[in-house]
Amino acid sequence: MPDELTPNPDSPRPVATPPANPAPPSDGTDIEPILTVPPVPGAPKPNPILVVDNLARSFGGLRAVDVDHLEVERGVVTALIGPNGAGKTTLFNLLSGFDRADSGRWSFDGRAVTAPAPDQLARQGMIRTFQLTKSLAKLTVIDNVLLGAPGQAGERLWTAPFRWRWRDQEHENTGRAEELLERFNLAHMRDELAGTLSGGQRKLLEVARALMANPVLIMLDEPMAGVNPALGQSLMRHITLLAHEGMSVVFIEHAMDVVTGISDWVVVLSQGRIIAEGPPWKIIHDDEVIDAYLGRRRAGEAR
Amino acid sequence: MDFDIIFGNAARAAFGPEAVILALAAIGLNVHFGFTGLLNCGQVGFLLLGAYGTSVSVATFGWSLWAGVLIGLFLSLALAAALGIPTLRLNPLLFAIATIAAAEIIRILIGSTDAIGLTGGPLSVSFDAGAFYDLNPYPDGPQDRYGVGTFEFTGQQLWVITVGWALVALISLAIFLLVRSPWGRVLKSIREDEDAARSLGKNVFSYKMQALLIGGGIGGLGGVIDAIKTSGADPNGFRPQVTFFAFAALLLGGAATYLGPVLGAVLFWFLREWIESFLRQLASESWLPAAAADFLDGAEGIISVAMVGLALVLLMLFRPQGLTGNQTELHLDAR
Ligand SMILES: Nc1ncnc2c1ncn2[C@@H]1O[C@H](COP(=O)(O)OP(=O)(O)OP(=O)(O)O)[C@@H](O)[C@H]1O
Ligand SMILES: [Mg+2]
Repeated sequence: MPDELTPNPDSPRPVATPPANPAPPSDGTDIEPILTVPPVPGAPKPNPILVVDNLARSFGGLRAVDVDHLEVERGVVTALIGPNGAGKTTLFNLLSGFDRADSGRWSFDGRAVTAPAPDQLARQGMIRTFQLTKSLAKLTVIDNVLLGAPGQAGERLWTAPFRWRWRDQEHENTGRAEELLERFNLAHMRDELAGTLSGGQRKLLEVARALMANPVLIMLDEPMAGVNPALGQSLMRHITLLAHEGMSVVFIEHAMDVVTGISDWVVVLSQGRIIAEGPPWKIIHDDEVIDAYLGRRRAGEAR
Repeated sequence: MDFDIIFGNAARAAFGPEAVILALAAIGLNVHFGFTGLLNCGQVGFLLLGAYGTSVSVATFGWSLWAGVLIGLFLSLALAAALGIPTLRLNPLLFAIATIAAAEIIRILIGSTDAIGLTGGPLSVSFDAGAFYDLNPYPDGPQDRYGVGTFEFTGQQLWVITVGWALVALISLAIFLLVRSPWGRVLKSIREDEDAARSLGKNVFSYKMQALLIGGGIGGLGGVIDAIKTSGADPNGFRPQVTFFAFAALLLGGAATYLGPVLGAVLFWFLREWIESFLRQLASESWLPAAAADFLDGAEGIISVAMVGLALVLLMLFRPQGLTGNQTELHLDAR
């Protein structure tokens, strides 16, 4: 059993972990408790941010999502992988309130989600991005990001006309938004309309906008699709850092080097069901995952 | 052919009360359609309730003009609530249909013979707007005229348009202050993609409702001014084309801009009246063949509206963002 708990020394380490620590967990850092979790589908986690039970959604005869039990650990980076059409995006849509489940329950941050409304969940800190980017084309890049800022006094009708009531907050938010743009290589596009951005830049903008909302849990649907590798890496490193500061991250991704590079935990979905979960270095050797998703050659590469 | 008279007529229409009313209708529509993306096809319904609320309060119930004004505004806000609460959560097309249907149903009910006792029915309603004209500071003798050449108003007319344009300026300023704020940013984000707004925690329904109430109330104010200007209301003044004139003005001037609806309303009335006056003069030219004069006689109004429509089509072809709109914004849609 202790063997189970020790990370494979050959496995890629999360990019931004503190100084390499080959010793087994329980040294008190944030990400380690996840390693005590047995790598089986539906495994309970020590400190879950999201707990899902019997969640199901069908489209006609197709069971797109059929999850018996899933827990997502707080403060770590969880990757959600699986073949095209596995139900990953649908699962995001259900959890974030953009689609209605046929049945099932879930709780977020300790609160049962009884009447899922997307805006309400977002205000509670569950922020998701979309696989098909939703940039607000006729708003400037900076306005796109500023829109993400939570708790804006100037967004209330009664305060809005009186600039002095929201100027300071707007100023502060603008500073933070500009930092994010800097980090995502969009600073030079600050005052351009978002509709003029390239596809990859829009992906980046959407992630920046989501981060602007100070999420408790951020759910990214293929955030790196179309983003150049170097920038993608720096982006994900940034997100890992935020996870170390306590933000929880779930991201959908097809590129296995990214998944193994930055995730602490991987959940594998196939035909709507969770077929495996565990730390990345275990998942890539899981026979079922190799058969359903990675393929023999791909698994070799990822190692 | 006297171009002085034609120009005078056009200028009077462009700055007269009709343009004020159209400007208010278009400003309201701009809040709905330009900034929030709500396709309101029944803006005339808000004007109608503003006008009839005022007229009926005074004429039928004998209340004071100012109480009537408040009731007119209240009724137009009530229409916004009644339309928005059931439909704004649903398909946007449903909202569009509901607005045009509601406006037309109200007009038909108010103009029906059964409503004669309350609204005057098809006979229209009239009342004494003296309380408003008592405040007129301009000397208003039978000889008093204000303006230059053929562009002149009576004292009463000048008083209506002074108040009217002051209101247009105030409301435009208020809309500017509102829309440049983070509140306005949320409205525009809803116009662009309401799911994106939701994913960032914005209560889309609430913002749409706020926009609908504000824009509807501004339309209602246009109706109130219409009632005061004519000292009454007539169901035929509130046909669906009024909404489309407001759209025409908005698109002419430039949607989602601050001055576009005002500029558009002025231009709309200038063009419409210029063409109509021109045709009327043309019809009485002696060199015109009798058949052509016969054709023109009485059709000037219709032809001039058609010509304004044509102008709008040309504008959409060559400057689709309107006169004040932003060129780059337009080319984003294809991406
Ligand atoms: N609105 C819908 N109507 C009908 N079927 C749908 C709908 N949304 C998703 N599906 C179906 O549900 C299944 C899961 O789709 P989903 O988008 O969740 O896949 P995914 O895992 O995100 O795939 P990918 O990796 O390609 O993004 C697919 O078979 C899809 O056809
Ligand atoms: Mg997907």
